[in-house]
Amino acid sequence: MRELFQLNHYFRKYAYLFWPGIFFCFASAIFSVMVPMIVRYGVDAIPRMVAQYQMVQGTAVAPLLFRQSVYGLLEFGGLVLLVSLLSGICLFIMRQTIIVMSRHVEYDLRNDLYHHLQTLSAGWYTRTPTGDVMSRLTSDIEQVRQYVGPAIMYAARSIVVVIVAVVVMFMISPTLTWYSMIPMPLLAIAIYYISRLSFSRSQAIQEQYAVLTSRSQEVFSGIRVIKAYAREAFESDEFDRESDEYRKRNMGLARVEAAFRPAFVILIGMSVVIVIWVGGDLYMQGQISIGNIAEYIIYVTLMTWPVASMGYIIMLIQRAKASWLRLNKIFHTKPEVADNEQTKPTITHIDGHFEFREVTFRYAPDGPDVLKCVNFQIEAGKTLAIVGRTGSGKTTIAELMLRLYDTQSGEILVDGQNIRTIPLQTLRGAAGYVSQDVFLFSDTIANNIAFGRMDAPDDEVSRAAAEADLLENVQGFSEGFETFVGERGITLSGGQKQRTSIARALVRNPKLLILDDALSAVDTATEAKILEALRKHYGKRTVVIISHRISAVQDADLILVIDNGEVVESGTHEALLDHKGLYKDLYTKQLLEEEIAALT
Amino acid sequence: MSNQPANTPVTSDNRKKSTPQIDTDEVAAKFDRHLFVRIMGYLKPYKGWVVLAFLLNLLGALMGPLRPYLTQIAIDEHIVKHDATGLLWIVTALFGLLALEGVMSWGNAYLTSWIGQNAIFDLRQKVFRHLQNLTLSFFDKQPVGRLITRTTSDVEALNTVLSAGVVTILGNIFSILFIMYFMVMLHWKLALLTLAIVPFMWWVSVIFRKRMRDAFRETRKQVARLNAFLNEHVTGMKIVQVYNREAEEMKRFDAVNNDNRKAQIKTVFYFALFYPVIDVIAALALALVIWYGGVQAVDRSLSLGVLVAFIQYVRMFFEPIRQLSDQYSTLQGAMAASERLFQLLDLDETTREDEHPKMPDAFRGKIEFKNVWFAYETPTENAEPKWVLKDVSFVVEPGQTVAVVGPTGSGKTTLINLLLRFYETQKGQILIDGVDIREMPLATLRRKIGLVLQEVFLFSGSVARNITLGDPHFTEAQIKMAAESVGAATFIEQLPNKYQQNVQERGASLSHGQRQLLSFARALAFDPAVLVLDEATSSIDTETEQMIQHALENMFEGRTSVVIAHRLSTIQNADQILVIHRGILREKGNHQALLAQNGLYKRLYELQYKEQEVL
Repeated sequence: MRELFQLNHYFRKYAYLFWPGIFFCFASAIFSVMVPMIVRYGVDAIPRMVAQYQMVQGTAVAPLLFRQSVYGLLEFGGLVLLVSLLSGICLFIMRQTIIVMSRHVEYDLRNDLYHHLQTLSAGWYTRTPTGDVMSRLTSDIEQVRQYVGPAIMYAARSIVVVIVAVVVMFMISPTLTWYSMIPMPLLAIAIYYISRLSFSRSQAIQEQYAVLTSRSQEVFSGIRVIKAYAREAFESDEFDRESDEYRKRNMGLARVEAAFRPAFVILIGMSVVIVIWVGGDLYMQGQISIGNIAEYIIYVTLMTWPVASMGYIIMLIQRAKASWLRLNKIFHTKPEVADNEQTKPTITHIDGHFEFREVTFRYAPDGPDVLKCVNFQIEAGKTLAIVGRTGSGKTTIAELMLRLYDTQSGEILVDGQNIRTIPLQTLRGAAGYVSQDVFLFSDTIANNIAFGRMDAPDDEVSRAAAEADLLENVQGFSEGFETFVGERGITLSGGQKQRTSIARALVRNPKLLILDDALSAVDTATEAKILEALRKHYGKRTVVIISHRISAVQDADLILVIDNGEVVESGTHEALLDHKGLYKDLYTKQLLEEEIAALT
Repeated sequence: MSNQPANTPVTSDNRKKSTPQIDTDEVAAKFDRHLFVRIMGYLKPYKGWVVLAFLLNLLGALMGPLRPYLTQIAIDEHIVKHDATGLLWIVTALFGLLALEGVMSWGNAYLTSWIGQNAIFDLRQKVFRHLQNLTLSFFDKQPVGRLITRTTSDVEALNTVLSAGVVTILGNIFSILFIMYFMVMLHWKLALLTLAIVPFMWWVSVIFRKRMRDAFRETRKQVARLNAFLNEHVTGMKIVQVYNREAEEMKRFDAVNNDNRKAQIKTVFYFALFYPVIDVIAALALALVIWYGGVQAVDRSLSLGVLVAFIQYVRMFFEPIRQLSDQYSTLQGAMAASERLFQLLDLDETTREDEHPKMPDAFRGKIEFKNVWFAYETPTENAEPKWVLKDVSFVVEPGQTVAVVGPTGSGKTTLINLLLRFYETQKGQILIDGVDIREMPLATLRRKIGLVLQEVFLFSGSVARNITLGDPHFTEAQIKMAAESVGAATFIEQLPNKYQQNVQERGASLSHGQRQLLSFARALAFDPAVLVLDEATSSIDTETEQMIQHALENMFEGRTSVVIAHRLSTIQNADQILVIHRGILREKGNHQALLAQNGLYKRLYELQYKEQEVL
């Protein structure tokens, strides 16, 4: 519970909603307790009226008295209506303030969390599954909101209703109150256990539902293999087994909820029966009136929910606490890569000279070295190419140049200065990065291209598209640059996506352009066109090309051949061919493959 | 460029305009009697239990209103008359009634869930089995996501209708009727007066339900938007950071987040209003009871007990009314889902099995294509279909290796799709060991052919499960042998859990080459008479490359093999080479014969030869 007090500043921030909310919560509770009182006065007034009426029956006063009773009772009725109306209004305002406040807090929390997430570095994201981040952002925040809103509201109201009702009941008859209260604690305890059980069982159901979903996903994605090996019957049986487990878990919840019903019916009903029983005795002893019995019946029904919700509130608070701890863990995570005291804010521009000095790097502290003692230097405006097998560490070099990670040992120099002295904004602002796995946002093509330069004029966007050999494609779409891509728009081919992301990098006029295997999905002719367009800017920007294809790298000023995290060969195309090493092997092999492809 | 210019909103706003409408609104289907009857058909196996549940519900509906009635008797007949023994009897009866009601509500809740869960299980089983048996051409057209929805959430949408649905609706109607009955019996005039609020309550429920449904739909839409945004940005955070978009994305997120807040606050409004309104209506009824009832009591035409009973009844009305209006909207949702499900179940796109299947005397692995024509779309009368294969004929003798070569899109993959009868030929015949594949039992045909696809599909689960595809008949020794004969055993033995190692979804933890070897082991484990292989093109490191080469040689040994070849060695070692170009079998024969033909293959070969020299 103490952990949740950290949220108190939200109550202060929304004090204009919180305190009125609490006030109206109390007011509505008091008004709703008043209703039974009025009913009691009404019911008790009747025998009196009957007695008076009987006395005067048959006399001339009778109709007058009768009229008076009618008005008297109308007053009671009207009072019931009035007090209910007041209670209703307070109830409405209570929800409109406290619950609305909880939505504001939810909004703030989610904004804060998203803001914080944006500062966390690539390393954190590789270690944390997307699903985990998503559930922090959605369900955990919702759990916390449940505490800030409903839990506090129900708690406040319940406490007031119970206290006021119990006080009033005690004033009438302590004995009757004691008796009628017997089932109440039991009810609260029962609800607490049942809500806990049903929460954990619901989660078990959700988990199994996810299993069912991934089972279907797998079967329908792999349907070709299943059919080829005639495994349909087996898969059906497997699915049935999961489906049966799902049914079992559902029945597990159903059992809890079924058990809840009689507990609820009996415990609630019991209070009323006790009131009639004990109240009846007390009436016979002349201690209370029939009106009191009617009043008690309403009190106990009125108290049922507040008491029951106590158990529920406790569960809500427990869940909120667990969620808040999980959220705090993220909030307290510091970004690994960030500007610090080493950073020189005066640097607002880079030329693009890069140097790696004895750079050794691993992704996880206990993981294997991905780069081992890498040394190289590329002058501003020159082209660097990196070749090597999958997993040899090519991408890592590019990511280090963008300072997505910090090195463990050795240093990276940009224009002769340690990369850590350069503000991230400056470094990344000068870069155009085309990553291996193309990632586009669900937005228009124009917005995707102008992603890193939102003020790019339209002609710059189309120039970048032209350089990436995308322009013709775009003009072929009915809505041109305003065509929506992604789930809700058109599906681009792999090559089109790659070229869009190249255009996105080019439109920034970057000082450092990194193409990480960025031409793998385009054919060689397109590749040649794009490379030709890039050549026009030769000398003005540093280009890093990572590729499997020799054709893409052969014109580079410096080619690094990476194997197993080490630079095994480096030099120009000609020099490397003379060297007759790994590069030469790769070259001959690809030449042949290309020729076969060209032929067929 | 290093700082975000402040004037950006102009352009970004312009661009934002093209955002299309997100259409997540579900179409509210109208109540359809036929659909409803068909849904109810799934309750048939549980007929007896449904009747029992209904009876329990009926009794429960009766007992609720019985309690205030007994209260009235307790007050009027015993308390007021100072009859302590009588009161004790009534109280005992009330306790008994409560206990009974408790037991029945338990039975009712459990039973309805049980019925619903079983019916749902049956339906899900049926849908899944039906889906799996549909032809590949069906799967070609359907996004996987949609199929998942059918087997999960669409089936789920019928849950409420199948479990509590009808029983609860009837139960609620009876509840209302019983309450009315008791009220009328106690005092019909007061009853009529109180009942006057029922239509009012119903009307308010319906109005609010509609408003709330619209508001909820809007929140669902906003939540979906929020989640989509978050998912996209958490996944693409690297791009956001590299392109310095943090500030702008924060602004956009704030907008999405704010829309969500607005939608949520709107639903809060309806919620906040709904219960107080209902309370006030109930209070109106209570006021009427006190006033009119009180007047009647003064007149002696109504007892105090009746008055107290009425006070209780007034509060009992609302629950069944609210539930009824709830039921109506779940019924609507169920209708929409069931319509989609039944459409799917009515689909008759399964591969037809011969009624009197024939089997070859022995599976030796002779393959014969006789004038095979094929197009993916069904030929219509007026238009000639786009033929993917045209008049293809060839024979593969048992034990031979056939290499299929040709450019992308020439029809190579179609050839193997037809051999496995994933699609039906339009003209011509495919024979295995002299029997038309259409006359063979489908399962037998496919079990006799081992297929290895270019892109390896791994199932979640262990290595062993991926080799055997879950067939329990394989012994551990057999699994090991299959892995060893393709050279996969080496890396498997190095895994922490060896054959029990979980390969993770889609085999994320295994390298490309390892996955390839695993799929070879799978094919060999099933000991097929015919091996059909689509060679992987993607480059892998030399070591694995050699392992694969070696594995292939082992696999081709002693069985008919049809290979879509990308490896030169495979092509050269083949007994027969089929050169396909634009769906036509242009050349066939062995390496020597084709060279002599001086055609398409010759040109291909020259390059192969050249490569061999360089290597």
